[in-house]
Amino acid sequence: MSADILSFIIFLPAIVALGLMITTRDVNTIRNIAFLTTTVILALVLKLYLEFEPSSGMQFVTNVIWIETYGINYYIGLDGISLTILMMIAILIPTSYLLLWEGKTKGYWINMLLVQSGVTGALLSLDVILFYFFWEVMLLPVFLMIGQYGFGNKVFTTIKVTVYTMAGSLLMLVAILYLGVAHHNEFGIWSFSYDKLMQISTLEYNTKVWLFLAFLIAFAIKIPLFPLHTWIMETYKNAPTGAVFLLSSIMAKLGVYAVLRFMIPLFPEVYIEFSTWFVIIGLFGLVYFGIAALMQDDIKRMFAYSSASHLSFIAAGIFSLNSYGINGALYLIIAHAIATGALFLLVGLMQEQTGFKTIKDLGGIAKKAPIFTFVFAVMLFANVGLPGTNGFVSELLIIFGVFNFNIYLGIVAALSVIIGASYMLWMFQRAILQDRPEGSAELKMRDLKIKEIVGLVPWVVLVFVMGFYPEVFIDKFEPTVTHYLQDILQIGATR
Amino acid sequence: MSNFIYLIPTLLVLFGAIALLFMSMYEKISVKSHIFVSSLFLIAALVFALLNANTLYSVQPYESFFNNVLTFDTFSNFFNILLILGTLLTILIGEHYLQHRSYFKGEFFSILLFALFGMMVLAQANELITAFIALEIASFSVYIMVGYNSDDSKRVEAIFKYLVLGAFIGTFFLLGLVLVFGSVSSTNLSDIYSYIMTNSSENLELLYIGLTLILFTFLFKIAAFPFQSWVLDIYRGAPMIITAYMASTFKIAIFSFFLRLILDYIAPIIDFWDTVLEVVIILTLLFGTWLAITQDIVKRMLAASSIVHTGYLLLAFIALSYTNGEIVNMDAAYSIMFYLIAYLVSALGAFGLASHIISETNIKVTFDDFKGLAKQRPFLAAMMTIFMLSLAGIPGTIGFIGKVYVFTEALKAGYVALAVFAIFATIVSMYYYLRLIAVMYFYPPKEECISEDFNDSRVSTYAILFVAILTIVGGIGSAVVFFIPVLNIDTLINFAQLAVKSLFL
Repeated sequence: MSADILSFIIFLPAIVALGLMITTRDVNTIRNIAFLTTTVILALVLKLYLEFEPSSGMQFVTNVIWIETYGINYYIGLDGISLTILMMIAILIPTSYLLLWEGKTKGYWINMLLVQSGVTGALLSLDVILFYFFWEVMLLPVFLMIGQYGFGNKVFTTIKVTVYTMAGSLLMLVAILYLGVAHHNEFGIWSFSYDKLMQISTLEYNTKVWLFLAFLIAFAIKIPLFPLHTWIMETYKNAPTGAVFLLSSIMAKLGVYAVLRFMIPLFPEVYIEFSTWFVIIGLFGLVYFGIAALMQDDIKRMFAYSSASHLSFIAAGIFSLNSYGINGALYLIIAHAIATGALFLLVGLMQEQTGFKTIKDLGGIAKKAPIFTFVFAVMLFANVGLPGTNGFVSELLIIFGVFNFNIYLGIVAALSVIIGASYMLWMFQRAILQDRPEGSAELKMRDLKIKEIVGLVPWVVLVFVMGFYPEVFIDKFEPTVTHYLQDILQIGATR
Repeated sequence: MSNFIYLIPTLLVLFGAIALLFMSMYEKISVKSHIFVSSLFLIAALVFALLNANTLYSVQPYESFFNNVLTFDTFSNFFNILLILGTLLTILIGEHYLQHRSYFKGEFFSILLFALFGMMVLAQANELITAFIALEIASFSVYIMVGYNSDDSKRVEAIFKYLVLGAFIGTFFLLGLVLVFGSVSSTNLSDIYSYIMTNSSENLELLYIGLTLILFTFLFKIAAFPFQSWVLDIYRGAPMIITAYMASTFKIAIFSFFLRLILDYIAPIIDFWDTVLEVVIILTLLFGTWLAITQDIVKRMLAASSIVHTGYLLLAFIALSYTNGEIVNMDAAYSIMFYLIAYLVSALGAFGLASHIISETNIKVTFDDFKGLAKQRPFLAAMMTIFMLSLAGIPGTIGFIGKVYVFTEALKAGYVALAVFAIFATIVSMYYYLRLIAVMYFYPPKEECISEDFNDSRVSTYAILFVAILTIVGGIGSAVVFFIPVLNIDTLINFAQLAVKSLFL
């Protein structure tokens, strides 16, 4: 029974969404049903979290034949890494509903549900074709959301972001099919399960590099890593708050997760060989996006760059070849999702009410909305990595990881964190704390409502709990990471 | 008697065509009853064809009478099912369109069934002259239907272009046939095969030239480079529903014969065309893509994109290679057949839906005209979205599975660069397919395109819904309904395997 829970978690939102599409109920009912669905899922995920045994590998596995002729299976399962991210998604989405509560139409909520299905499906897939299926499908609702509810030149933005991200995925598809063919040539049967594909031994090193790059492009566009980031500026600026939240907090993390789940296990020797480059690219991204964020005036764009900057840092952690780095990266995935997610939603609220987009138009919010300011500050500190918050723990771990990898790069990593602190705090001072200049227009801004506070409380609590007692969480995925890394390094070294 | 069973579908279609011909003499009989009668014949033919779908057989019935020119086997039956289904769905989707256009008279349905008859004979042809005659029966019927649209000033251009070019390229087939006859002294396919097997390569030169000329006809009919230029104007000038028919069903008929020819009879020398085909594929993809992104008229965009799909199909063709007395990569043949099904439903759906919309408003022509369709008619917009996604090969639709198969086979045969090139064509295709979805959903409707009083409960709508369901079920298969036996992806592949197996009986 508990094995079927995963399928239930994946498909429940989609089924509810399809049902809601047909009904003619008003938007309030639809939103309430959607919210209820996500809380049901949260409850189920909590149950899974408690039942999960940290030491063992894949759990709750379901493996059913989907397309027999080509050995494509409906193969899903869960290990420490995916559990952590599943937990994050399950908590983030319902709370985001609370913050997005007002002024939305039916399609908005239906799309949100569909995205949740797609994201969870991609997260739990262990068959690469199945993964690809969900990976593409989760983008379509976002496509509709941006196009329908976005701002500015939204249609162009929609098509650009979709073509851009799908272009990467299609290259990955070729690589996936190539691996399938290689498996078929070596063992005489078709299979696309990731553990079966790991056993392929006939590929030449050069071919592997190409396949590795094909996968990397797909994931790097989603993350986004330098220099494949050009789509995010426009998208984050023109997209509605919900879509920005989904893209930055959840889908980008799935890109990182996919690197861990598929790319590294499939090509361990390439991973080891190229790791230095990717740590450098990651750190470069951290600095580059940090400086870009420093120069932004549009507040959403600033967060877009800041988000990209942190994700580059996560990538650097993943490629640092040791468990500090990977644990830190996983921890930062969660921390960043919470902090950035909350910040995007709060900025969305701020923008809806004041109508201002740029930092210099704002100011004086602290007096009008003290609770808002408090939550904003907490998330900001978490994002910056102040001690006591989850951001601190994760950044520290990654910096350890990079130090272990290479001492000079470690120094760079440690120093570049300062950039993040400077633009964030500077923005905070100008947009929130500082008084409005004399004679400027009246600021229309209300404080958070009870519903929104309820939604934000778990996040604030998580920020501090994860900051003070990291063991509680790290213990769940640490064994998986250790095993995983041992296997990778061993396989990579022997080949 | 048992042999007669196999003939029934073809004969039913022929009798249907003749019966409709007689019906059309009476002005009083409405278009509606013509639709009804032709559907009835087609459904009957479909039922009889389906009876044999799952049996493995290959017979040449009444050999003395037919002189061995026709083969009835699972392979031809597989294609007959597709062809009949395609025609039936064309009529049903076009129901509204056909009734609301004054130029569609009774004889149209007769011609349509004659076209189908020609195609079915083509799928069963066991001999080059028969194939030529069948091809011309089908082609001439299509020429006539292309010129049916008397409202459109483009129709004269369309019919003349198609007629002249088609007849011209038909002579290539004839010339090739003559050269083949000159070297083999027979036009029977099995004689050609034994000639290839018994002669050394010096004696085959004439045969190579002959078959290459026949290949030209093939490339023309499926609109591959360098014969793609007719597609845009002709698809544009033809009535929408005929465009749908040409793009989906007629293409399948062409493939049925050439697939048989290549798989069963000229397999030992197919590698000869590999280099040519590689160039053809690259240029087909390139030109098709370029044409598709530059179109403003939706119908022309769909027409141009059909050229790109031809490129994908040829990609699977090239993956069939021959060594040591057999075809190495028989799976590529299944992937072609699957892709044909995938393209049949998606293209028929897309063109058919466009014709359904046009039948009422008459002004939905360019991308701009489709603005706001999702607000006016959410159901149709959703269906159109499904077809576009399927054509673009987004997961969850049959088009995705078709692409996966084709690309897998191309990679398996070692054509990595070509597959990557095709992927780039797919990436660009995202742009023009998504653009249509974007205009439907993200813009308010244009004022002159707003029209009220839609009535969506008609045959066409249900036919479109049926095709859309096929598109989704074919893409997800048993993934959603694990324990319920439905017609899933594997079943389709199994049918294709059985069909190919019957070629070698």
